[in-house]
Amino acid sequence: MSSVIMTDSLTKQYGSKKAVDRLDLKVPSGSIYGFLGPNGAGKSTTLKLLLGLIRPTGGHIMILGREVNPKNRLSILAKTGSLIESPAYYGHLSGKENLRIICTLKDVPFQEADRVLKIVRMTEQQNKKVGQYSLGMKQRLGLAAALLGSPDLLLLDEPTNGLDPAGIQEMRRLICSLPEKYGITIVVSSHLLSEIDQMATHVGIIDHGQLIFQDSLASLHEHSKSRIILHTDNDPEALKVLKQAKIPAGRRDGKLVLRAQKDALVAEAAAALVHSGIGVLRIYEQQMSLEDIFLHLTGKQVSL
Amino acid sequence: MSLPIIRQLSAEQKKARHRKIWLVPLGFFLFEVIWMLWILTTAHAKELVTGYLMLFYQLPILNTVILSLMITVIASRLSDMEIKGDTLKLLYTMQRPAGFFDCKYVAGTKYLLFFTAGHGMLIPVYGKIFGFGTPLKISMLFSYLAVTLCTSMILLAIQQTLSLISNSQFLPLIVGLAGSFLGLFSLFFPAPVARLVIWGYFAAFPCVEMDWNRDTRIIQYNEVSFPLYAFFAFAAAGIFIYGICRTITVKKEV
Repeated sequence: MSSVIMTDSLTKQYGSKKAVDRLDLKVPSGSIYGFLGPNGAGKSTTLKLLLGLIRPTGGHIMILGREVNPKNRLSILAKTGSLIESPAYYGHLSGKENLRIICTLKDVPFQEADRVLKIVRMTEQQNKKVGQYSLGMKQRLGLAAALLGSPDLLLLDEPTNGLDPAGIQEMRRLICSLPEKYGITIVVSSHLLSEIDQMATHVGIIDHGQLIFQDSLASLHEHSKSRIILHTDNDPEALKVLKQAKIPAGRRDGKLVLRAQKDALVAEAAAALVHSGIGVLRIYEQQMSLEDIFLHLTGKQVSL
Repeated sequence: MSLPIIRQLSAEQKKARHRKIWLVPLGFFLFEVIWMLWILTTAHAKELVTGYLMLFYQLPILNTVILSLMITVIASRLSDMEIKGDTLKLLYTMQRPAGFFDCKYVAGTKYLLFFTAGHGMLIPVYGKIFGFGTPLKISMLFSYLAVTLCTSMILLAIQQTLSLISNSQFLPLIVGLAGSFLGLFSLFFPAPVARLVIWGYFAAFPCVEMDWNRDTRIIQYNEVSFPLYAFFAFAAAGIFIYGICRTITVKKEV
């Protein structure tokens, strides 16, 4: 799978602080790339670097197979759409008038405005002034603006920020439908792990400006090794018994955990405990959640 | 790839819809129409003989206040829609920041051109209505209009920059308001100090001087030669100021 975005040691430094530190992004074509990280991790700065809104301190950016420089930036970005931080709009104009300004700048016919309004289901509100829109409607209009001109790549920075649960679901559904229907590659940033888990096919995790994980979502889930938890009526005694029987076990978070997951070993452990007169209350497999993985990778709590 | 200027200007035109920005220069123009009417209807018949000289002396002084305020409001009206709507981060993915600044400037200059052209027509019209005794010197009219337009355009660049780099329009409005009064007071400053106040340049290139006789209390207006080279130097400085303003705006990260 070819990469739509590739960065090589992309760095942005403000004074002595590195907001983005030697980032090597690889966004596969046709993917929904979830760009995940806690607030202040460098997500927005990275997206702004990709769009040329801020100048990198070091490194290179390739978008749609071309290295981005100040001269060709706009011609490359002509094939992209973006929604950075909050939706951009002219409050005194209607939704349709807003889109027509972008049509003019992108040199696409005004009929495009009707097409994208239909995609984001804003046809009925198109003649209302944007200043009177709810945040959810503004976000959808922002997405419509990003879709003008049928871009190959969409960069969406926290597109569900500030939306109510229904709005979040609506936006998520819209984003998920775009690659399949229109063949668009999407980079969507979020600090919400659950959101990325529900939308993305690929994930990049950034923390303190550094990319600490990048692969498919499936691969991230593979990191979530399961473990076998034993609940007994006497855990300390049970641990002694298991150790005597040379079964790999230990205590973790106050729970008795088997360090191996073979069925034979689980059966052997259960038998040893029963023979020793220890009551086995429950045996279950616990999957490491994405939150656990995130915590493991970043060492900090995230929103869910 | 650079976006054709005509498309960028067309986008600026579309943005200004429903903003009623025309009302700003129109309102200030009407104020000057009424002010001139008042001045001319209360003037002595003797003064009306040199009516054009009187207007070319008094209008630049009035402009230091009126035009400074008008330019501040126009720049603010045109720029605050970008700040309020947080549009720069979207626009800069479609047009160069420098191109955006230039087109925004052209959009503002349009109003100044119509305002100046309005003056250019109003002065001869008043001359006819009130029957000024001496004929209108076209060179004097053009030098007045050139100074008015040039100073206005320099101030527009400054005000536009302030409006685009500030998160609220409070600072640019305060600067514009303070500048207009400073411009008026600068006419009484020593020349080297007055040269530092751009708002005062509306009246810095006089083609008329006033002689007021304290004993007879008679005001006499005399034509003086227009300081052409000084004006060219000012216009050149204006281009330099524009460059600085554009660089400041372009360098601001969004």
